[in-house]
This record gives sequence, structure tokens and C-alpha cells, in this order.
Amino acid sequence: MCPSHDLNLYPFSRGFLQHWTKGSTPSSQQYFNITMTLELIEVLRLLMLATKQHKRHGPEKKGGLLVLIQTETNSDDNFYCAVAAAGPWCAGVNMAELHSVFTDVMRRLHPCSRPCPEPDIEDLCAFTDLYGSLRVFLNFLMKNVHVCKEKCQHQIETFLHSFCMTNAEIKVHLKLQSGQKHCQKEFRVKDYLRVMLFSQTPVYLDVSVNIHLESPEREQRCHGGRPDIGSSLHLSIPPKIVEQGLLGTVSLQPVTLLKPCVLQYPNRATNLTQCQVLVYNPSNIPASNASAFVQNFSAHLNCEDLGLQSHRLSFQVIPSVGSVYKVEQVNSPESCVKSSLFSIDLSLVLFLFLQHIDPFITDVSDTMATEVLLEHHLGEILLYNQQIVTNAMTNALRKTLMAQNKRKKEQEKMQSACDSIISSTLRIISCSSNMDFRKACLDSMQVHNTKKMSETFSESLRRVIFLKFVPKGACCSDQIGQKLEKSSKHLRVEM
Amino acid sequence: MASQANELFSEIDKLRIQLLHNAEQTVQRADEERRNSEILALIENIILKIVTSVSQEEAPALHLPKRSSWDNVSFDSSVGLQMNSETTFTVVRSDSPASITKFAQIVKILTVIYELILSNSYATKRDIYYNDTQLFGSQATVDHIVDDISCLLKVPRRSLHVLATSKGLITGDLCYLEEDGSRMDCRASNTAIPISSNISGIKNIVSSARFVLIVEKDATFQRLLDDHVCAKLSPCIMITGKGVPDVNSRLMVRKLWDTLHIPIFALVDADPYGIEIMCIYKYGSRAMSFEARSLTVPSVMWLGLLPSDLKRLRVPENALIPLTKKDDAKLNSLLKRPYVQNQPDWLKEIELMQQTKVKAEIQSLAAIAPDFLINVYLPNKLRYGGWV
Repeated sequence: MCPSHDLNLYPFSRGFLQHWTKGSTPSSQQYFNITMTLELIEVLRLLMLATKQHKRHGPEKKGGLLVLIQTETNSDDNFYCAVAAAGPWCAGVNMAELHSVFTDVMRRLHPCSRPCPEPDIEDLCAFTDLYGSLRVFLNFLMKNVHVCKEKCQHQIETFLHSFCMTNAEIKVHLKLQSGQKHCQKEFRVKDYLRVMLFSQTPVYLDVSVNIHLESPEREQRCHGGRPDIGSSLHLSIPPKIVEQGLLGTVSLQPVTLLKPCVLQYPNRATNLTQCQVLVYNPSNIPASNASAFVQNFSAHLNCEDLGLQSHRLSFQVIPSVGSVYKVEQVNSPESCVKSSLFSIDLSLVLFLFLQHIDPFITDVSDTMATEVLLEHHLGEILLYNQQIVTNAMTNALRKTLMAQNKRKKEQEKMQSACDSIISSTLRIISCSSNMDFRKACLDSMQVHNTKKMSETFSESLRRVIFLKFVPKGACCSDQIGQKLEKSSKHLRVEM
Repeated sequence: MASQANELFSEIDKLRIQLLHNAEQTVQRADEERRNSEILALIENIILKIVTSVSQEEAPALHLPKRSSWDNVSFDSSVGLQMNSETTFTVVRSDSPASITKFAQIVKILTVIYELILSNSYATKRDIYYNDTQLFGSQATVDHIVDDISCLLKVPRRSLHVLATSKGLITGDLCYLEEDGSRMDCRASNTAIPISSNISGIKNIVSSARFVLIVEKDATFQRLLDDHVCAKLSPCIMITGKGVPDVNSRLMVRKLWDTLHIPIFALVDADPYGIEIMCIYKYGSRAMSFEARSLTVPSVMWLGLLPSDLKRLRVPENALIPLTKKDDAKLNSLLKRPYVQNQPDWLKEIELMQQTKVKAEIQSLAAIAPDFLINVYLPNKLRYGGWV
């Protein structure tokens, strides 16, 4: 694929690069194309590791990240990429160390590359106007891209979208320039919550929803989903990977996020339509090499145990979203719930966060190399710990879906009772010989005959019952304890 | 023979005169029978409120008087326990998963009642249950809701055209006609007939009974029946509700009092639950307090088994049973009830039971002699006025 790459690039990642140059596993290509975005991923990994220590302490640190990609003149296969960062989130970065590691990484990836042209100052000005002066600016070449630009764009967007889901305090701007064509995208998160993982690592989770739910007062509406934090578990490292240099301890912590929050709509039917599993490296960037494990996970799921007995899960890859399980209801006489105009579609995201601790590794360069090695062997590590990882994932899903399943049963009861109320009420009206009473009922519903009365009353009663809205005090967001801190930002609409 | 009979009833006759004198001074029973059209209008009013709520985009709710709250009940010595005019309510909402089913059940039963009245037909509570077993879930739910509706509309259940299958039995010197014209003769000495389901339809009551004996338990009732007690203590009427009496049994006792104006005696076990059952006949229950005036018979007298009888008759100790914690709790509860304070003699008996810490069933008298109840206890009690 990239013959110019030096196999001695990363001592610990030799196996990874061999794997990669031979044409990496279909699963990793399916997730996003490593051959195209390797440089970008590595730069982001470096940046996140450099800022991690600084982020751990103190309040939320926001800011912006600019990814500017331009095609090299006279070459459609090479891209110049500039990554710029501004704002408090990257304020504590040791710039000298960062540049040193960056130079080292780039030299190893592209030993013979020439200096990259500076991007247009106007592109940077727009960014600095928003976030202040640049604290980080890294300019590099993305080489030898052999796939169509459209697919490349989709895959970069997918990667950045996944990145933003767990780094929601950072606003990401993507600019693509190819010839005369310019494309700009902003990845902004409307609502996010701070979650503490592994007892000490803050992560800002995107909990915003993309659907509009009616409510009497917008301010009273909950603006997010509900994360459930699972217990962390230690993963055993296979001996052969230990021999390759991955030492220390690896942990995994699942977090589920069911969106949107429906506690304020206690009577609306809900329908789980999508389940996404995302894996994140210790640096909090999306991890590759887990797709095969994720794809096979559904085979170990007991749908009945999760209350999804009338559903089937099909694994799909959706552009800009990534790998998801589409959840489809299998219609049968027993499982068919009356179609409801008021049903809310739910999506479930299962985040798997990784942590690696090795007390003998302290500097960014070694940490980065170790993470690359971990990511390269991630599929094998997950498979080696298949039982406990699958159990942890299943338990996390079961816990989150338990409330939904209870709600579904109550929904069915309410539907049945509502039908009874409607038929009983209309029966009395239709068989009454009291003209005053009948007229009063018809006038009340503003109809002229019992047929219209039947339609209008039926629709109105269902609306009144199933669209019930409760004020924000009943919402989970106000009840969540120490691990979660509410963010009340209402930012511009995300891409 | 005639003089012996007169001797047996002399105290009873004196009691009757006294009761008749008191009855003139009591408040007349309210005529609670409502016309069908009034009840239809009441139901229509509820439905209109539901429709109006929906038209205003509000979830309809029903406000049911709380029948189980002591706060909603007061005591009147001439009536018994009756529901206050100002009561607290339970709100049954249609937009809450916890209460929507009950809301639906109530509206469904209102519909059934509405149609029964329109067609001038009757149904039992059991019929209503089988109308939609999935919605109602259990017979007890239907029973409870029918009483809730009766209380909500302030009409007796029989006005709702809902009948209950009676569980009680009656025997003795009594003949009457049912509403459908059937002639009921209770005079066969060793059989009893079920109490009618439609007490208000009973007419042409003929009886020369000198008293009515309410028997708590079916077992005791059957024993007395087998021993031909109605013949031995003739003329009399004997009735049982088989434990806690249903509404029809209570209505029947009330009907006998209203028609015959003869003393009514209760024969219950000397235990807290027997006393409570007797109080239901006499003063009514909290749950049915809204219909007290047609269900209570404040003139009921406690014939036996009295706690003081146990000592007086030297009932063998092995026939006595120690009170349990539940019995103590029930006794304390009885002592707090307003009507007990109104009956000093009953209060004394209850306090005696508390002191002796024992209870006894009527059958315990068999420990004295097998036929002691029939041949000694009852005749002497009646002859010498041994009631309180």
C-alpha cells in the first residue's frame, strides 16, 4: 500500500505496520480506511495525549479544533493536512515536546517528504476569530490515497463525528479543498454531559438528540440522553502481545447512552431502532480493529433477555455514522403493537472506553507508541477476553433497556385501557335518548354527528393521554449524582 | 304450653315495646330509591365531564369518595356509621399508568349500568365481570368498583340494576313474595333458603315471629337448624350472613325490622371478630357508610356468646382460646370506635375480654353439655332477658 513507510517506524508497532502494508484486515477498512487517515489519526492521538494530563484537573476546558485538508498541486493522491487547536482545552500542552514527537512521527511516516505549504491565512483567521490565537498548529502530508475523494471525505467525517461524541467540549471544523471545490463542515454538540471514567478521567459525552419533541415550553424540556456508566473491568493481555511490548494493565469501561431522554414523556411509546457500539482508545479517539468483534457481538446477544424478543439486529455501516446495528421489529400477531402516531424512536450507543496504565511509561512519545500497539492488537485482546467483555456489554445493554421494557409493558396496558375508555364513552353517547346531553357532547368536541364524534374524541383522548408532558423536575438529568455534571449549553445546530 | 310460650317471650315482648317506643323518635329512613331517569342523568353528567375535559386538552379524571377513610365517617346513634357530607376524594386519572386501568373499569361499568337501566334489565356483579374479564382481572375488582359507583352517584346498588348473589340463609316463621311473583316459605323446620338477591322487590311479608336471631357462622346456623331450634323457640326467624354479611343479608335484616318491628338478637362467637360482625349489622361498615340508612339496624341486641357468660357458666378452660396479638389489635380498634362508647354494656363485655385475655366460640358451650346451647342457653337467655 505505502512502500515508502519504514518498518522500523514504531518499534512496538512493527507488527501493526506489517499487517497494514500487506493490506489490513477487512474489518478495519470497513470502519474507516487506515491507509488514508493514518496521519490524521496519529496527529489527533498525539494532540489528545498531550492535552490529557492537563484536562484531568479543573473545570471543563473548551475550544476548537480545525482540520484543513487540501490536495497537493498536480497530485490527486496526496493531501496536505493542517491541524490547528485553540482555546483552554489545549492551553497546558508542552509545545516543545509536542513538536518534537510530531516531527518524529512524521519523519517516520514520510521520511522523504518535503515541507508542506502553509494554508491560506483566511482559513485560519476565521478559526482564530472564534477561539482565540492558535496554541497548536501542525502541518503534514497525507500520502498516497488510492480511493475516491468522496469516500475519503465520508470516512474522515465519520471519524470526526465519532471523535466529537466523546470530546463534545471541542468544536471541530473540517475544511476540504480539492481544486476549485471547497467543502466546510462543523461538528458541534448541542448538549453534552461530563462523565468520570475509571474514577478519574473526565469525558464529555454528546447527549444531544436530533429529533424534535413537542413540549409546551422549550426551557422545560430535557435536552439530552441518559448515560449509564458500567463497571470497569480488567482485560488480560495475550502472552504473545506482552512479548511484543504491551505491558501494564488494560481496562475497559462500558457506558450506554439512550437517546432521547423520554422521562418527560411518560406515556409515549418508544421504539429502539438503532444500536451503535463505539470503541475508544485511552487517548479518547475512536479505535479501529474492533469492528470484527463488534460485528460478531450480535451473535452472542440474547434478544429475549434484553426484551427485544420481537426484534432482529442487522449489522450495517452507515456513512457518517459508522457501524451500527439496525433494530427492526419483526411483526407478528403477538408482538404487533398498535401503530402509534406518538412513538419516539430511540437510539442506543454503547461506548467502550479503554484505559492503559504502565507506570514505567511517562512521556508522550512512549505513551503514543504503546497505544498504537494496543490498537493494533485490539481485536485479539477483545477476543482473548471475549467472555467477560461480552458479558459486560450485555449487562450494560440489559440495564439500560430494563426501564424501556417496563415502559413498553405499561404502554400496552395504557393502549388497551384507552380503547376501553373510548368505546364505553361513545357507547353511552350513542345510545342516549337525552338530546341535550348528546348535543352538549357534540358541541364540546365541535362536531356535528356521532361518526365525527367518534373520530375526534378518539384522536383527542389519545393525544391528551399519550402526549402527556411532565416538567423538567421529573427528568433524570436533575437527579443524576456525582459522576455526571450538567452542561446547559445550547450551541448552534450540529452538522 | 301456652303459658310456657308466654313465659319464654315475656321479656322479649317487653323489649319490643321499648324498641317501638324508641323507633318513633328516630329519624325516618331516607327514601333512597331513585328514579331510573335520575340515575341516567347522573351517569350522563360524568360522561359529559369526560368529554369536556378532552375537548379542553386535559386528561379526564374521576373523583371517588374515599370509602375506606375514617375521616369521612361519623357516628349517629339512630343510624350508625354514616358518610359525611364533606368527604375526601381519591383522584383516578386517565393519563397515569397506575390509574388508567381503574379509570377504564369505572367507565366500562358505568356503561353496563347505563344499558341495564335503559333496558330495564338486571345483571349480577358476576355477569359484569364476565363481560370483560381481561379488563377487570378479578371479581373483587368489579365488586369494589360497583360500590364505588354506588357511593359516587349516592344511590344504592340495587338502583343501579346490579344484583349480587346472596350468600346468606334464612329460615323460620316467614313467608313473602319475590319481585317475580315467586312465593318463598321459610317455615320448613330443617331447611333454609338463600336470601333473595332483590330485597327491595320483596313484598307481602307474612310472619308471626316474636324475634329474629342473627347467627354469625354458617356452622352454628346449620347446627341450630338440625336441632330444629326454630320449632323449639317458635315463632322466630333465624338468619345468617355466613361471617361478614353481604349487603343483601344486611338489607334483609333491615327489611324484617322495618316490616315486623320485632327484637333482633345476635348470636356470635365471644371473640373480637364476632363482635365486629355484630357491629356491622347494628351500626354498619365504613365501606358502606354512604348507604347506612338502609343497611343498619341500631336496635340489634347482643344475645350471646358474652364474655361474661364464659365465667358465669364456668365454660371449661380447655374450651377457651387465648387471645392473639391480632385479637388484641382488633379489640383496641373496636374500643376506639364511636359506637362502642355509646353502648356501656358492650364496652364492659369487651373490656372483660381484654382482661381475661381469652375468647371462645359458640361451640364451646358443647363442652358443658352437648345440647347445652339449644336446650339451656338459648331458652334461658330469651326467657330471662340475658341480652345486652
